[in-house]
Amino acid sequence: MTVKIRFFAQFRELLGSDIVADVPAGTLLSSMIISVAKRNPDGYSALFDKNGAFHEFVILMKNGKRIDIADADKTVIIDGDEIAVFPPVAGG
Amino acid sequence: MFSERELGRYRRQMMLFGEDGQERLKKANIFIAGAGGLGSPVSIYLAVAGVGKITIIDMDVVEETNLNRQILHYDRDIGRKKTASAEEKLRQLNPDIIINTIDVKIDASNAKKLVGNADGIVDAMDNYPTRYQLNEVAIVKKIPFFHGGIRGFYGQATTIIPGTTPCLKCIFPKAPPREEFPVIGATAGIIGTIQSNEVIKYLTGTGGLLTNRLFLWDGMQSRAEEIRIERNLSCEACSGMGKENKAGDKK
Repeated sequence: MTVKIRFFAQFRELLGSDIVADVPAGTLLSSMIISVAKRNPDGYSALFDKNGAFHEFVILMKNGKRIDIADADKTVIIDGDEIAVFPPVAGG
Repeated sequence: MFSERELGRYRRQMMLFGEDGQERLKKANIFIAGAGGLGSPVSIYLAVAGVGKITIIDMDVVEETNLNRQILHYDRDIGRKKTASAEEKLRQLNPDIIINTIDVKIDASNAKKLVGNADGIVDAMDNYPTRYQLNEVAIVKKIPFFHGGIRGFYGQATTIIPGTTPCLKCIFPKAPPREEFPVIGATAGIIGTIQSNEVIKYLTGTGGLLTNRLFLWDGMQSRAEEIRIERNLSCEACSGMGKENKAGDKK
């Protein structure tokens, strides 16, 4: 099945913008993002800490609905899901 | 009532929202938190539009590294307080409005008092802890909070109406780490002018606002996108707000 991941801001610079991932049924949201992020070590460390947990400021959305990062490893994705991953942009 | 000079100055925009809309701008009091990258275009466009009272707050002095984006400040202003530099330029841009500058750091102890009886707060800050303070003040006073943020070629903006739209904490519950962020001046210009545009529409009752949506600007690809955002019903900042206004909580 295929899902689309949209990265924004500095995550986009490191990992690309609209990525279509082909993943097996039953894949968890966190596993899918990890597999995509691992393509670029800087991208991975922008999203995850040394223990492999999401940085607490990372925002995840699935089909327009916010997913708490604590729930990312309990959330199963299904064919056609659209995932958005973005940081709070802080400068002013 | 407007002077002949004001009628001339604002003629092209009164074609959009009439003398009544201009009068609303003239009576308005807008609080701009920051006289930097975002604060520059925000304050310039609100000043020339005729917002009657603009309070701009900043604790920094102008540095050389500010000048690629902070267009209120010139080369000759290096070492000068940003508030003094901003006041001078804004007065020159529009002598018919009141410019109030405050040279202080915004924190939990003073944020509410500093905002005073403003009709809206513009977020032109460069860090989330201060943004969260202002978000809370906006919630307590039930006034809009016009959020903007920039980094590199990327930017974001949304208009927060407390009790109606998601607040800043609903959208971004945790602050990212502080950093010396890269930025191009044009990004500040794009996001800052969106914020000013929102303030002007809010005050004049014109058009639709950037509410319940997070506007995302990708200047690398020249793409504007948006994400639908929703209130977090367990938000630590605004979950208590809603249908009714608490008595005695007025600004």
